[in-house]
Amino acid sequence: MNDRIVFEDVSKFYGEILGVNRVNLSIPPGITSLVGPNGSGKTTLMNLMTGLVKPTRGRIQVLDCKTDDPENLFKMLGYSTQFDAFPKGLTGFQFLYSYLRLAGRDSRTAEQMAWRAIERVNLVEAAERNVAGYSKGMRQRIRLAQALSHDPKVLVLDEPLNGLDPLARAEMIALFRSAAAEGSYVIISSHILHEVDVISDQVILLSNGYVVAEGQIHNVRSEIQEHPTQILIRSSRPRELAAKMLQYEHTIEVSIHKDEHGLLLKTRDADRFYLALNDLAVSGIDIESIAPADDDVLSVYEYLIGTEEAVR
Amino acid sequence: MKRIWWEQIKAVIRLELRKTFFAKRGLWIYGVAALPVLLFIAYAIATSNQQHRSASVAAQGNRSLTYQDLLAVKTGMTSEEVIAILGKPPLNFHWTENRRNGPDATVDVQREDYHYSDGQNDLFVGLADGKVASIHISNGFNPGQDSVMFAGVFQFFFLRLAVFFGCLGIFMNLFRGEILDRSLHFYFLAPIRREVLMVGKFLAGLLATCTIFVTSELLQTSAFLWHFSARQSDVYLYHNHGLEHAAIYVGVTVLACIGYGAFFMVAGMLFRNPIIPAAVILIWEGINPFLPTLLKQFSVIYYLKSLCPVDIPSAPGTPPVLALLISNSDPVAAPVAVLGILGVALIALYVSSIQVRRMEINYTTE
Repeated sequence: MNDRIVFEDVSKFYGEILGVNRVNLSIPPGITSLVGPNGSGKTTLMNLMTGLVKPTRGRIQVLDCKTDDPENLFKMLGYSTQFDAFPKGLTGFQFLYSYLRLAGRDSRTAEQMAWRAIERVNLVEAAERNVAGYSKGMRQRIRLAQALSHDPKVLVLDEPLNGLDPLARAEMIALFRSAAAEGSYVIISSHILHEVDVISDQVILLSNGYVVAEGQIHNVRSEIQEHPTQILIRSSRPRELAAKMLQYEHTIEVSIHKDEHGLLLKTRDADRFYLALNDLAVSGIDIESIAPADDDVLSVYEYLIGTEEAVR
Repeated sequence: MKRIWWEQIKAVIRLELRKTFFAKRGLWIYGVAALPVLLFIAYAIATSNQQHRSASVAAQGNRSLTYQDLLAVKTGMTSEEVIAILGKPPLNFHWTENRRNGPDATVDVQREDYHYSDGQNDLFVGLADGKVASIHISNGFNPGQDSVMFAGVFQFFFLRLAVFFGCLGIFMNLFRGEILDRSLHFYFLAPIRREVLMVGKFLAGLLATCTIFVTSELLQTSAFLWHFSARQSDVYLYHNHGLEHAAIYVGVTVLACIGYGAFFMVAGMLFRNPIIPAAVILIWEGINPFLPTLLKQFSVIYYLKSLCPVDIPSAPGTPPVLALLISNSDPVAAPVAVLGILGVALIALYVSSIQVRRMEINYTTE
């Protein structure tokens, strides 16, 4: 029994255009974010995972299912795409109901499941209106409802927070977290890095069709050797602390915080820094808190992909 | 077949029928289907007027005539002999014709036209200088002739154009239309086998085309019979195989929808531009009479023509190429024809099933 979403040496070319190349992934349960600039291959990876496009090379397996077996794949997978088109003439409810009937549910069950999904995305009042008249946010929500409607084990969500207002974003994030907490696989693509940082258990960084890094943010960060680790230290005596820290060979740079109650330190060896800090604490320097300053998606993204593409 | 597949097929049909019947891009199909109906309505109105006119002419005559009376008039008879047989003509025209008689000479000819009727059939007699020069009988009710006319419209307009292009419009859009609307992924994201989806879409297209064109066919028959009196309808339907022919035409229409539908569905998956396959299939169907027997079997019209109940005779003097188009050379037996169409459709559906499994959602390249 396979409990991962596995990509083995997967490449996808659209004619001569590269979609993704030589992707090897093993995605565990939890929230996994695909991060990368436009055209980096996020949507291609999702389309490959859901069988909407076929790999030019390699093999993909979603838990125990192959992606060319939609009958079984979509029993356990829901995909909210970025495609902003719907079958014509359907209301929000009919859209979900039809989808569930296509899935083979009987009328009564389909109706119940459709309404439950509509309630989960807070779209009850608009459910009987034609989807063509929905706002962008409502269309996003009805797509999410479709993906969620059959309680899938794997949720693939392409830019799911696009077009949602702050309240709806918070609700959706809570929804994703709750699904992940129940053991589901939630794969999200996003270019809003601070949201990714907040919700992700692990990230996959993509650039120009290649996977640049994958794993938990902290682990990914610690593997980036060429950029010094930045640490924010809160202390009532920052200048004294800075002077002491500069005596260590692994310290590269220290700057005093604007409020004079802390300092930002750059070190090339985080482990040795923490050992040294213990010594300083024992020697009586007051240290209120220590926090990594670049142990987040944004920093990792900037280090690996570049600052100009990063979207805050 | 798994029960769930049948449920899924029904779900696809429900969705597709709504789109097929009410799609704006398919409204012209109703127009195409209505054209032959309008043609027969116009024919019925014209024939009805003709019948009223014949009845009026017959009523104006000073004696009641039979069809045999009308046939009794021969060329060369004098006007007195004609009047002796048929009585004084209810309608007549006379004029003087200045006819050329040599390079410089002319001669005056006294011309007369007599118009008689037995109430249904009209006799037009042309006289020159008091002698019958021409005779023309216009039959008011001729079930054999009407059958041939109906067969001509059915074979050369309804089957080859209306059903052909109607199927093109509906079946090609089953997948191609969804790609253009960027909504095909809706189906591809459901837990449904692609082949089951294809069958559902095909059946939806078939249901739509059969509804439209069988309705058209029945309306054509009704319009065709409209000007018949109750007795004439009875004669045509029950004694002249009219009812049997109508049933066969309905069956041929359904088979045409199956055959062309399967062709156009696979074409819609293989080609982005429908004009190319439509032109190729239209030409292939058109040149069918000139193809060797083996190749003929890979067309729909070959089998459909074999099933049509009325042969259309070529008029004397028809060019050989046109005569070949009209004639039904190498017809096959009805069971073979039915199996042939179903076989051709099954081959096309098999190709569709392979193609639908290969399809990818990549709207940006469309």
